[in-house]
Amino acid sequence: MGGLSPGGLALLLVSALLAGGCTELAPHAGPITLVLKHARILGPADPFPGLLREFEAAHPGVRVRSESLPWSSDEQHQFYVVNLEGQSPGFDVMMLDVIWVPEFARAGWLLDLTDRVRPQEFAAYFPSTVAAATWSGRVWAFPWNMNVGLLYYRRDLLAKHGFQPPVTWAALADQVRRIRAAEGDPTLEGYLWQGKQYEGMIVNVLEALWAHGTGLLGDDGTVFPEPERAAAALGFLRRLIATGVSPSWTTAADEELSRRAFGDGHAIFLRNWPYVLNLLEAPGSRVRGRVGLAPLPGGVGGVGAGSTGGSHLGIARGTAHPDLALALVRFLTGERAERAMAAGAALYPTRTALYHDPALVAGNPWLPRIHDLMLAGRPRPVTPSYLLLSTTLQPELSAVLVGLKSERRAIIDARRRLDYFLASNR
Amino acid sequence: MTPRERADRRRGLLLLAPTLAILGVVTVYPGAWVLWLSLQHRIPVFGVERFAGVSHYAFLAGDPRFWSAVWTTAVFTASSVTLELVLGVLVALALAGQRRGRHLAFSLLLLAWAMPAVVTAKLFEWLYHPAAGLLNFLLGARLNWLGDPGLALPAVVLADVWRTLPFVAVLAYARLLAIPAELVEAAQVDGAGRAATFRHVTLPLLRRILAIAALFRTLDALRAFDIMFVLTGGGPAGTTETLTVYAYRGLFQMLQLGFGSAVGVVVFALVMTVAWAYVRLLSAEESRA
Amino acid sequence: MRRAGLARDALVLVALTAYAAPFFWQLLTSFKPEADLLRLPPLLPARLTLAHYRVVLEQSLMPQALGNSLGVAAATTLLALGAGLPAAYAIARLPVPGRRALLLALVASTAFPQIATVSPLYLLLRALRLRDTWTALVLAHTSFALPLTVWLLAGFIREIPRALEESAAVDGASRAQALRSVLLPLLAPGLASAGLLAFLSSWNEFLFAYTFTASEASRTVPVALALFPGVFEVPWGDIAAASMLASLPPLLIVVALQRALVRGLLAGAVKE
Repeated sequence: MGGLSPGGLALLLVSALLAGGCTELAPHAGPITLVLKHARILGPADPFPGLLREFEAAHPGVRVRSESLPWSSDEQHQFYVVNLEGQSPGFDVMMLDVIWVPEFARAGWLLDLTDRVRPQEFAAYFPSTVAAATWSGRVWAFPWNMNVGLLYYRRDLLAKHGFQPPVTWAALADQVRRIRAAEGDPTLEGYLWQGKQYEGMIVNVLEALWAHGTGLLGDDGTVFPEPERAAAALGFLRRLIATGVSPSWTTAADEELSRRAFGDGHAIFLRNWPYVLNLLEAPGSRVRGRVGLAPLPGGVGGVGAGSTGGSHLGIARGTAHPDLALALVRFLTGERAERAMAAGAALYPTRTALYHDPALVAGNPWLPRIHDLMLAGRPRPVTPSYLLLSTTLQPELSAVLVGLKSERRAIIDARRRLDYFLASNR
Repeated sequence: MTPRERADRRRGLLLLAPTLAILGVVTVYPGAWVLWLSLQHRIPVFGVERFAGVSHYAFLAGDPRFWSAVWTTAVFTASSVTLELVLGVLVALALAGQRRGRHLAFSLLLLAWAMPAVVTAKLFEWLYHPAAGLLNFLLGARLNWLGDPGLALPAVVLADVWRTLPFVAVLAYARLLAIPAELVEAAQVDGAGRAATFRHVTLPLLRRILAIAALFRTLDALRAFDIMFVLTGGGPAGTTETLTVYAYRGLFQMLQLGFGSAVGVVVFALVMTVAWAYVRLLSAEESRA
Repeated sequence: MRRAGLARDALVLVALTAYAAPFFWQLLTSFKPEADLLRLPPLLPARLTLAHYRVVLEQSLMPQALGNSLGVAAATTLLALGAGLPAAYAIARLPVPGRRALLLALVASTAFPQIATVSPLYLLLRALRLRDTWTALVLAHTSFALPLTVWLLAGFIREIPRALEESAAVDGASRAQALRSVLLPLLAPGLASAGLLAFLSSWNEFLFAYTFTASEASRTVPVALALFPGVFEVPWGDIAAASMLASLPPLLIVVALQRALVRGLLAGAVKE
């Protein structure tokens, strides 16, 4: 596996410099050092070091050391599990993929922030990110950056053939067929998405389930509560590949593989995260100025919605400086820091007001549009067993996509496995 | 028993003590503990720890993914060991006649065996690259080696054969050198052709060493992990997921320590059964010979 | 006849070079400029660069990992030889009770699947707070390096005629002196072989290292290579350079210490 999660992907940077530049430990009790663990942050300009120095300036006697995590989400998770489990972790503040918050909270690795958070404090964030920071009625983290699944389309091609962005999947398939027939270009693919065996595929499947009016977990915790609809959703994804709407290599595609093909001008539609927009619109991009953004289609018995993702900042329970750590988290998720990140890195803020901020919108005119899409996005199931759920489903669903297993068989097998493991997790 | 014998015995035990103590901690104790773990629901991160009886094993008995891993392990082991034996003997025959550049020849051969399996996996991942891989370039094809469910397992087997063939070759080579030249010459004087000489003279003499090589290689192949974990992670669609990879995912990705241990115990039992069967077979042959 | 022999020898070398091609291809890749990496043909790049090695050495965990691997493999080898040599001597020379069962147990423990012991060892190392330390890895690696060493050394000792030690003892040397002055020099090649194999097995090990390490404090080379970070693109050139660094010690051993390596390899399989 080793896939990039939306959270992992969203974060960008060359932080070897950061980590390398200030690794020496204070030999004696001098200034307090806060250690911050986060994924690499990339972007046109990295505002991160500057932000940390700013925090240090405001807190004399405090130093912040920023250490980077492995690149892929799975490896980040493994890093945390090994370091947090049963010993003092060696860091104070940590970046969390949204899907880990309940798991880490249940494992007792996160400082419970419920009594330290002011009631009004979370009103500024997207409600779905606040929901993801909450588990079992308590608050465990601050929302830091935001992600949502989007449909990118080639504005030029759709306009040329007289189409509007598709609202239903049937319309998308139809547009693909017509445009490809008219263009006569064998290298032009239709709809690109992520079907490789990894977390990203689960996200694509979830979105298909929602478009078919069902979900992965029922209210009572049942896996695939409506197996018939779930089978229809999986069959729909399989048919995208079987009928050529999506290329056969979709079953090996992750975010980057599909992004690159679309960015090279070899596809009409692409499902991906907002970070892609910056790359597609970058100087030198072959599709610069020819890209449109739309919500994911729906209409197969449900409303289309993109899955939300992103990352949170949590505090290690073993920290020696809970108050300072919280101050750092507040600073980094505050208006000023999120604005700087939105301007300099390809990260999207969790604070809703920034999407209509004139200065930011001047730099990225898509912000208001992305705001609406994020607001309409749906979270992945919020459960401490999310990783178990995902890793169990991955091979089963992958088998359906490559045509090795029937939808029904995969659903039955997955349910049997999950019923067993979820029961033993209890 | 003379006092000297008794003293030697005591001395022997004393000399053995460090080794026995270390192995007791790192092998025997974990070996016993894993059996106990496999009978538990054990999720350390959530503090779950309760007796499960044989329920993990009962679940495995009806688990298609487990049986698919058993099948994958069997196919991987059978095909890679067979190929290694055949190719290893061919390489050994070629080397046996080598007069010059033997050191160089061995260096070229042994390198593949001596380097980490993770490096092998990275080497082959690059060779298998759909667009820029050497293999597709040489074949003039655009095969998706690691993404195609029909090609992924053969691709993994190929990498494993490349890595472990030198082991078989060196063993067979050493045995070949020990075969008296007169034996082969005598057969050829009797009018036997090259192929017939190989079949009736050389091969029977190689038999024992090949059986040993096959044993070692089978035991290794049954627990192979590094190559598939790095090269395919068990995908696509679980087609390269062997028992060891399955166990590892259970242990450290699903964090189900009890369940994963049960799969580990199955691998353990499998390895020990095969070892035992081979040893029986070999000693039966010996007593016949 | 002579000519034909030469041609044949050359042909075998060519064939073996082709066999080793995956390695040479990676070697070439490690020197290819970024822009040429994903382009094929041409087979040979127009120019070579050290940029990938610079990235690996200056910006990745590889230097620390090389240090960790060297330390862990050396410590494992020393521990295996230090504990293994007396044990091997006892098995080869002294009337130890249950010798045959002991030998069987040793062979069995070299065949022990790591996947079966990884979970108890994980819990053990966690309880001892040893995760992400060299100690954890040395202990784990000793589980296979030690039985292998004992097995090999016992075989080598048995090859040395007992009479040599005894005659030294007759000459008035104490038993310990006899061992040091007679047995040890004769055993030196065997010690080298066993040590090399122990070193390689630790250097190459992945499953334990992947499970018990988390940071630059103990990450070994195979783990660092398996987790080699990329940003968006897979850094094929950097990975190739890192692979070359990871195979450097094995390469040196194969070229410079080949005789000892092959001796050990054969001894492991052929004895008893």
